[in-house]
Amino acid sequence: MAELTLRNLTKIYNPGTPAAVEQLSLEIRDGEFIALLGPSGCGKSTTLRMVAGLETVTSGEILIGKKTVNQTHPKDRGVGLAFENYALYPPLRVRDNLAFNLKAHGVSGREVEKRVAEIAKYLHIGDLLDLKPAALSSGQKQRVNMARAMIRRPAVLLLDEPLSHLDARLRVQMRTEIKRLHAEQRFTTIIVTHDQLEAMALANRIAVLHDGRLQQFDTPLEVFNHPANEFVAGFLGEPPMNIFEVTMDAGSRLVVPGTDFTLPLNDKLQRLFGSRAGAKFGVRPWGVKVSSTQSGGSVPGTVSVVENLGDETHVGVRYGEILLMASIPVTDRFKPGSKVQLTFNQDDLNLFDATTGDRL
Amino acid sequence: MASVHLHELTKWYGKRRGIEDVTLDIADQEFMTIFGPAGAGKTTTLNLIAGIVAPNRGGIRIGGRDVDGLEPADRNVAMVFESYALYPQMTVFQNMAFPLRSPKHRTSARELEERVRRYAKMMKIDHLLQRPIQALSNGQRQRTALGRALVRQPDVFLMDEPLSHLDAKLRHSMRAELKEMRSQLGTTTVYVTHDYLEAMSLGDRIAVINLGRLQQVGTPKEIYFTPASVEVARLFGDPEINVIGARLRSKPDGLAGLQILGENIPIGVPSDVVSLLNGAETVKLGVRPSDIEIAENNGAGNFHGLVYSFEPLGTKSVLTIDASDGSRIRALIDGHRTFEVDRRIQFRIDPRSLVFFETEKEGFLAKSRLNRQEAGDG
Repeated sequence: MAELTLRNLTKIYNPGTPAAVEQLSLEIRDGEFIALLGPSGCGKSTTLRMVAGLETVTSGEILIGKKTVNQTHPKDRGVGLAFENYALYPPLRVRDNLAFNLKAHGVSGREVEKRVAEIAKYLHIGDLLDLKPAALSSGQKQRVNMARAMIRRPAVLLLDEPLSHLDARLRVQMRTEIKRLHAEQRFTTIIVTHDQLEAMALANRIAVLHDGRLQQFDTPLEVFNHPANEFVAGFLGEPPMNIFEVTMDAGSRLVVPGTDFTLPLNDKLQRLFGSRAGAKFGVRPWGVKVSSTQSGGSVPGTVSVVENLGDETHVGVRYGEILLMASIPVTDRFKPGSKVQLTFNQDDLNLFDATTGDRL
Repeated sequence: MASVHLHELTKWYGKRRGIEDVTLDIADQEFMTIFGPAGAGKTTTLNLIAGIVAPNRGGIRIGGRDVDGLEPADRNVAMVFESYALYPQMTVFQNMAFPLRSPKHRTSARELEERVRRYAKMMKIDHLLQRPIQALSNGQRQRTALGRALVRQPDVFLMDEPLSHLDAKLRHSMRAELKEMRSQLGTTTVYVTHDYLEAMSLGDRIAVINLGRLQQVGTPKEIYFTPASVEVARLFGDPEINVIGARLRSKPDGLAGLQILGENIPIGVPSDVVSLLNGAETVKLGVRPSDIEIAENNGAGNFHGLVYSFEPLGTKSVLTIDASDGSRIRALIDGHRTFEVDRRIQFRIDPRSLVFFETEKEGFLAKSRLNRQEAGDG
């Protein structure tokens, strides 16, 4: 186990084309679990492949422990890989696939057996141990893959979308098991994922990437509650944050032009808004309170859609092109057409620059 | 506009069962979601209604008319596909007008124009009629696809996972938008999905199908709060419902008590509920993760456990707990609390939220009493 440092890591595939990864710097502590989160094409897998040594580095540095590994052969970096299509040895049973590298490194037979049993329990592959890879489903292969990476107790564990082929139920179970495994073993781990729930659930810190650039690197709750920019705000959270364009009127109230959305702002938010012509306003569905009675600063509206989802109820209020969604207690009752008043906890509100998208 | 009646509908693909003995009444103007996991038989059902495949047995009536043997084009149903299948280089108007230009419809130019404008207005895309599809947002494309299906004035809409190709976030907003439009449609709709949130949000009723057989038909509330079986209960909710073995004990005060999770906790079961349990001594209890509450203090009614795993998800967190008897349960808790692994905790189970299932067959027996959401009106 070791810390991992990326310094100004850059990858350019073809000279003259945009960088796949640009000036990425991350300091990952020994035993920490990091998620690289972003949409496809954001550079997250390229980053992981550079750490693994499967991809050359255009510029910048990768350190495992205190040692620069840019020129180190992949197998000597002490990394364990579980990639989406990292092949298992077809003629070997799952048990032997897992044991292969341990035996090669001179681990005793009894210890190998113990570790196989242990990892099989965590990853729910106990009943697969005597099968050959050809007999496994893609989800099962993925779990065996992960087991093989973990069983060697590498300095750094690299997981590339390890849960993506699993059905929803198994994905939730495996997420829990990976989290547990990390709590016990404290591998320094990097997971690449496009699933924000997976990143939030598993990681100590999340690095959000977009177009090859780091957007924010912080704890899940910090990234969720204080997104650095509009991209991060929109990428995390389901249902998504309501984000829309606003202007400010003469009375220092936020306005959605052409609608009756008018929201007085507290001093702090007024100051942040400053003298701009406009900005983007962001509020999570849980930050909107819906009531049938008017109160100071409440915004009038008409319910246009209600979704009863069992444990949650969502209410949509339309302002022109905007359908503002609120998540409300299941005991509250509104119907389409209900006249309502929306109130906002001003600490839950986000303002973003209209052009750069940066948080104000 | 029309009702749809499926009678003992059966379709085999060689030796593989598509669906078997599906009988379902869909009322005029009803929005019915057909929900189930992959391979359950959902799309087969839809294709049978559309007339794209023929049943081995059973029949279909649309608007009281027997449609068995009728070509798809003669059933007056409109399909809305996952990909919308719009012509990207054509304008919204051209796309919407397209179905009316087929020889079969023989619509006059004036009526065509009038109809397209009427439905474009309903779908709130009347200001976009001259725009090419390429220039539209996803939401506007969805509206155009629906508008195009509407201008034909079909008896029945058939929708096969129209939101499934969208990413998770967009799916949430499009679902809400679709539900908002739904009230304008007024057309009988059969909507296939594997996403339980879509099934619950959109459907007046849900038909749950698995392994080719109908498992339960009911309103979203009925299915969520009184699932017909453990299997159905597990399909609705994320994380899924906890299923816990329990033993019933008589108590001196006449209430039955429940012994669960290795502890003798006095959860009282009202006698009218006990009478529904058919004298069973053991039952399986369904407990939603949101109905488990972490106790702040010691208390007589508290269960004991160890934190197995803690997963923050933003507003909520999933706490996985190893209970005293070793069984593992999940709680969905407030997002602002954090828990260390292996910490000892106490928790409570909301006695109002229990669902009772048979131990062996896992069929529905009873529920403890009205749930929170049901306590209100419709």
